Amino acid sequence: MNAPALPSTHIPFYQPVADECAVFEQAWRQQLPILIKGPTGCGKTRFVSHMAAVLGLPLFTVSCHDDLSAADLVGRHLIADGDTRWCDGPLTRAVRSGGICYLDEVVEARKDTTVVLHPLTDDRRILPIERTGEELQAPPGFMLVVSYNPGYQHVLKTLKPSTRQRFVALSFDFPAPAVELAVIQQESGLDAPRAQQLVTLAGQLRRLGGYDLDEAVSTRLLVYCGKLMMSGMSPLTACRVALVEPLSDDPDTLAALQQVVLTQFGA
Amino acid sequence: MEDWVGGLWDKLIRRSAYRGYPQAAVSLSSLERTAPLFFHAMGGDPGLTLRTAVGTAHGARRRWLERVAGIGQQVELAWRDGQSLYLPEQIDLYPDPQLNRDLYFWLMALAAQADTASGLGWLERNRQATLHCLQQMPGLAALYRRLVEALLPLRDTPADATARAQEMVIQATLLNPEQALPLPASTRPPQPVLLWLHPSPPVQHAAAKRPGDAPAEGEGESRDSKKRRRYRARRDTPDERKNGMLLVFRAESLFTWDEYVRVNRNTDDDDEDNAAAAEDMDTLTVSHDTQRRASRLKFDLDLPAAAYDDTPLGEGILQPEWDYRRQQLIPAHCRVQPMLPRDALPATLPERLHAEARRLRRQFQALAPERSRRYGENSGPDIDIDRLIRFLAEKRSGHAISEPPLYQAWPPGERSMACLLLADLSLSTESWLGEAGQVIQVIRDSLLLFAEALAATGDPFGLYGFSSLRREEVRFLMLKDFGERHSDLIRGRIQAIRPGYYTRIGAALRQSTQILLQQPVRQRLLLLLSDGKPNDLDHYEGRYGVEDTRQAVLEARRAGLIPFCVTVDHEAGEYLPHLFGRHGYVVVQDARRLPQVLTRLYATLSRPG
Repeated sequence: MNAPALPSTHIPFYQPVADECAVFEQAWRQQLPILIKGPTGCGKTRFVSHMAAVLGLPLFTVSCHDDLSAADLVGRHLIADGDTRWCDGPLTRAVRSGGICYLDEVVEARKDTTVVLHPLTDDRRILPIERTGEELQAPPGFMLVVSYNPGYQHVLKTLKPSTRQRFVALSFDFPAPAVELAVIQQESGLDAPRAQQLVTLAGQLRRLGGYDLDEAVSTRLLVYCGKLMMSGMSPLTACRVALVEPLSDDPDTLAALQQVVLTQFGA
Repeated sequence: MEDWVGGLWDKLIRRSAYRGYPQAAVSLSSLERTAPLFFHAMGGDPGLTLRTAVGTAHGARRRWLERVAGIGQQVELAWRDGQSLYLPEQIDLYPDPQLNRDLYFWLMALAAQADTASGLGWLERNRQATLHCLQQMPGLAALYRRLVEALLPLRDTPADATARAQEMVIQATLLNPEQALPLPASTRPPQPVLLWLHPSPPVQHAAAKRPGDAPAEGEGESRDSKKRRRYRARRDTPDERKNGMLLVFRAESLFTWDEYVRVNRNTDDDDEDNAAAAEDMDTLTVSHDTQRRASRLKFDLDLPAAAYDDTPLGEGILQPEWDYRRQQLIPAHCRVQPMLPRDALPATLPERLHAEARRLRRQFQALAPERSRRYGENSGPDIDIDRLIRFLAEKRSGHAISEPPLYQAWPPGERSMACLLLADLSLSTESWLGEAGQVIQVIRDSLLLFAEALAATGDPFGLYGFSSLRREEVRFLMLKDFGERHSDLIRGRIQAIRPGYYTRIGAALRQSTQILLQQPVRQRLLLLLSDGKPNDLDHYEGRYGVEDTRQAVLEARRAGLIPFCVTVDHEAGEYLPHLFGRHGYVVVQDARRLPQVLTRLYATLSRPG
């Protein structure tokens, strides 16, 4: 949350699924904020870092939590050498530098936090800093991106409609098998046959999401599993520690999941 | 003596003729929890229930010893239809228990792939499903090879030429499913293949309803389904001409109960012994009869005499109702009658729930203290160091606000959340949910466990139940009011609830909303536990009931409540999104998991935020 990811020649790998890259770019050009919805580990964060690199913008990522307040975003006074010094928060730095401020899991933040975003998300594009008496006008490069994971687990935590309606919104889901195959191969270096087995396995496990499992297995976990397999771990162990155990604590469910793994990586 | 020797001989010959390996048997019940998950993961419809297959006569030639012992006519094969997945009750085909266990998983994977509506022949259907499984799941391929290699030595080579040709084709297809071979014609059916699905699955008309049949309110599934026994059903359309007074068959042909003739008789309930007789039968004829005795009578018996009814409290409260045709709220349209369950005596938690309750209490106690800590309070036992430093820095810089909240507190008893659970107690909850038993029993257990869990957190909560009899009498059962402490009295009330009447959800929701709004908390969760759509005797059904319920949910949401529905109705996906929004409900596939889902839901929903 402190050091911005500076634009560099290295562009993080992101496999586009539809027209989301074009939408993002147009939203940035039109100075519109973006809201990204989607389940855990489907590539939201990666997409934002990819786009920031493509557009050559510094990226300020904030992982929101339940004690994150407006002051944490905007900035605070610190005592240094017997004197006080104003220190910008990530949002203020993004506004000053004309970069992307990405608030990951924004619904986790305290309710008062979202209020500070309002004047930034309409045509005024201003950030008033009460404590220093400043009012920053966001430069054309600045963009606000927020993300959250809708689902019944988060019924109590959704954005207020008044906040949500200030954003252009993109819905993310797990990628299609062919795309996911490419992602796993690229990220973990796994060979095509085993990556294909992982993708098929993911399809099988995802059928259980919502019914027998709270959340479906994410692309991120598949990549972890691929990396473990590439490191020489046996596929069964890799699947157990990277796919089965993270999904549930119930012994019966774990046994069933391991049985599903056996259909792909059986002896 | 002769009887005794005969019995011994019979036992001996049966045992030596029997082909299976009982000592290596694996039963379906040992896979009860893992099997549904595995089947869904393989692509099987999660709505299907798991049942044990009934043995069917295969008609193939038996070994000499089998014929002498008089066994081996029947075989239990797996199949799937629109309602259920049927698997043998136990498998003892192989001498190795692991192989028998593997066979279950293979059959589930195969059943999930098989296209029952393809119209292909038995052999071809199984071959294609097998091929599909092997191509999609390399892990299964190894398992399949093990199963086939162990199976081939167990199969007979028939002496008859055509039968042998058939057997050769089956073995070749088992070994090499890539190659399609035609099955040679033979006078006898081939030996059953336990690695494949049933060649001619019994058609399930018992559960299927003809269009135009009245909905089965309170009928549920028969008690047979509890034992998961299914009979090879034969559909029978009652012949209206056959009358009970007329003997249409010769009396001497009446050998068994199996021979069925529909007799127009009046309502006398069947003997208990029928169940035992049914166990022994090959085929159970299921008749489509437009009359339902029990439910017909129940309609009138539904009304208990005032003396036996639950104890009404006061005059009742008038609640409005939404008329979607007029698009307006009709004020004071329903009378909500708060009641206490009759015959409720203080009772302890049933023995069978103790372990689960203990586990939940422990979990929920752990949940409680963590989330009561509050930062940035105006007073409290601890100083919020982080905020204090910030404040001091701001003070030095000259931008301090006058009275910052600088304390941490654990406000005692003052939680952020209150929860009201409203349970559907309409007559439909009397129905059976297969293995899980009656819906009402599941609701009772869920309420008991939910109360135990919530009592451990210290969060204020209320438990209510409802049913209705037209708009004049929406019965609102007080199981635990917010003011009451959780005690044996409450447990007794929960155990005394009985299903009855209909489901006028709207009025009950409005009443709950008003109760919940009186709670001085930040978040108010209104959980509805139901088993089906809104309905009542008057116009309150279909669209009208759904729209009124939707309106009541919207009102609750506008008042700042969080309404959420937990249901066991598998068709709920059709109407609940309309009522509660896409993320405002959860369908519980297996009713036995309802208590866990409910408590876990509460734990998830009430996380700090």
